[in-house]
Amino acid sequence: MQLGLVSCHACHLLNRKPKTSAYEAAYCSRCGEELHQRKPNSLMRTWALVIAAMVFYIPANVLPMTITSALGTVQADTIMSGVIYFMQHGSWEIALVIFTASVFVPFLKFVILIYLLLSIHFKSIKRPKDRTRLYRFTEAIGRWSMLDIYVVTILVALVKLGFLADIEAGPAALYFALVVVTTMIAAESFDPRLIWDVVEEKHE
Amino acid sequence: MSEGNFEMKHAEQAPEAVVQTKHSFSIIWVVPIIALLIGGWLAFKAMSEKGPVITITFESADGLEANKTKVKFKDVEVGKVTQIDLREDLAGVVLTIEMNPDAETYLTEKTQFWVVRARVAAGEVTGLGTLFSGAYIGCNPSMEGKKQRHFTGLEKPPVLTEDQPGQHYILTAHSLGSLDLGAPVYYRGIKVGQVVGYDFDEDAESVLIKVFINEPYNEKVRKNTRFWNASGIDMTMDATGIKLDTQSIVSIMLGGVAFDMRQHDLPGEPAEKNHKFLLYPSQESSKEDTYEIKRYYVMYFDQSVRGLSPGAPVEIKGLQVGEVVSVELQYDQEKLDFRIPVVIVLEPERLNLIVTDTGKVVEGEKKEEFLEEEKKTSDLDARARKLIEKGFRAQLKTGNLLTGQLYIDLDFYPEAPPATLEKIDGNTVFPTISTPLEQIVQRVDNILKKVEQVPFGKIGKDLQGAVAELTTTLEEIKGISGKVNEETIPKFNASLDQLQETLNGIESTLGPDSALSYNARQVTSELALAIRSMRSLLEYLDRDPQALILGKEGDKK
Repeated sequence: MQLGLVSCHACHLLNRKPKTSAYEAAYCSRCGEELHQRKPNSLMRTWALVIAAMVFYIPANVLPMTITSALGTVQADTIMSGVIYFMQHGSWEIALVIFTASVFVPFLKFVILIYLLLSIHFKSIKRPKDRTRLYRFTEAIGRWSMLDIYVVTILVALVKLGFLADIEAGPAALYFALVVVTTMIAAESFDPRLIWDVVEEKHE
Repeated sequence: MSEGNFEMKHAEQAPEAVVQTKHSFSIIWVVPIIALLIGGWLAFKAMSEKGPVITITFESADGLEANKTKVKFKDVEVGKVTQIDLREDLAGVVLTIEMNPDAETYLTEKTQFWVVRARVAAGEVTGLGTLFSGAYIGCNPSMEGKKQRHFTGLEKPPVLTEDQPGQHYILTAHSLGSLDLGAPVYYRGIKVGQVVGYDFDEDAESVLIKVFINEPYNEKVRKNTRFWNASGIDMTMDATGIKLDTQSIVSIMLGGVAFDMRQHDLPGEPAEKNHKFLLYPSQESSKEDTYEIKRYYVMYFDQSVRGLSPGAPVEIKGLQVGEVVSVELQYDQEKLDFRIPVVIVLEPERLNLIVTDTGKVVEGEKKEEFLEEEKKTSDLDARARKLIEKGFRAQLKTGNLLTGQLYIDLDFYPEAPPATLEKIDGNTVFPTISTPLEQIVQRVDNILKKVEQVPFGKIGKDLQGAVAELTTTLEEIKGISGKVNEETIPKFNASLDQLQETLNGIESTLGPDSALSYNARQVTSELALAIRSMRSLLEYLDRDPQALILGKEGDKK
């Protein structure tokens, strides 16, 4: 920042960015993408998306995820009831996987993102490295939450035995997918360099 | 002052701009707003769809599961079991059920809930689907009655008849027997209804069985219709052989009720709803006459009542007029004595009463009228009093020599000591005379004494003399017969020979080849000819009587 060098979002070419007025914008000399020192509006976007994801998280867990009908018995299962079902039937490994991927991970993401956002908001300079690591972790595990959606879609496609057995996706599937997508975008729109900006500011 | 300095001075004089963080509304906030709107809408929907929560107690939660078991009416889901708990006293389970919002109207005290499981009963199999889908809770909603949220579930599914046309009737029986809910009701072998419920009488003395007869068969139920228990097999053995009587296999296994009119009864008025009928234990008993007027009397017998049991007949001249109700032993502590009050019931309807002034037998409608009056008055006791004055008494008699069964016989004993109808402790005591057992013993004793006095020794000696005389007589007879053999028989033979000869002579004279016989035949044939010509002459004379004077026509010419 001090050197006035800015990396392009698109092609990652280092450009020397001159000072620009309010009416001007800097563009990458190679690909023509607009150059920003930091992701624009990063904090606000992340907050908005995290809040949206948290709202979606409620129906995703309360409403039924799958609607199974076997021999005329229709049964609607939420994520948690599915986990409990597997646990009661001894398949605690599967229960653990579903619980981790579908309940624990999204929840962990909320906690981490909110912690990062708050730490920047209150200009914390504690353990910036660890916080950066946390961010990377959030980004990495984000996609694994889609596991549940994949399982449901595969089941719905495979189990079509008419009267004998039939599985339909419940409304929770949609909200759960929204939770995963919004948290992923939220993690993406967060700029980890903001962590270090605060640290540098304090050092000066 | 340089130009630049001047400018700087001016710049310094200019007011300092306020530096603030940029507050711009970013489009990204639309996302959480939309999320909140969706969430709010979902929450509102969930809240508005939430129906009333009710609790139902059952004996057991066999086959029921929280969050899975449904409440259904006509196979439409109207609620869901959300929780299953044990009752506090551990005597059952409490189901918490979330009903649909529109269930509010029919959650009344008359609404019934029961568990539907696969069930084989009353000749039909129901709820087979529950074998796969698991049990569910059936309900029979009713809009009548007080609203309530707590229900007691039925352990057995009720037989639903609300939506069927027909009529309910009540049968009173001594016991339920093998009848069960849904047991068929037959009319002449056709299933026309079923048992829909049973309960104790108010005083738990008898069982009230509720039956439902479908239309149009309910018209067959008249006030004088007899219902009987058609369960099982009726076997009767009489002079005509063994007779088996059953309804259907179903009724053999599950019990059933049949009804009909007695053969000679005229159909009475149609029975109204919930009319009470008596349930007879068998078809045979349903045909018996029933007597409404009953008079109870107590009889005290001094002798042993061994062989007298409740149900034993009370007879007048061999015809039953009542029966023994109870026989019990009483101990009189003061008198140090036992006595046996025998309670009997007399059914005066068994008698065809003859009204004295007209001398007519009262029957038919008149009898009914008469009996109605009879019921009101205690005239019968007065009548009994008159009879007793005339010597009417009860006496124990042996009905069966082999088993020693006793019965009570009512008859006139003009020599009996005077007695009357007494009232003791509210019971009417009917006078009795003891079977003169002791007298009989005395008489038998007398007979035996007289038998003893018979001089058997002398009789023996006389008999011996008589026998000796008889022997000599017989010997004489023997001598006579010997004479007969030696002399009489040869003479008799000779006479027989002579008789033979005489008969032979007659034979030769009169036989078919004898001359006498031939002549006789000749004479007979000539006589026949003479008679024939005589006849022709007579016929001619009949036609032409003038020939007697004029001679034959042929002679004229």
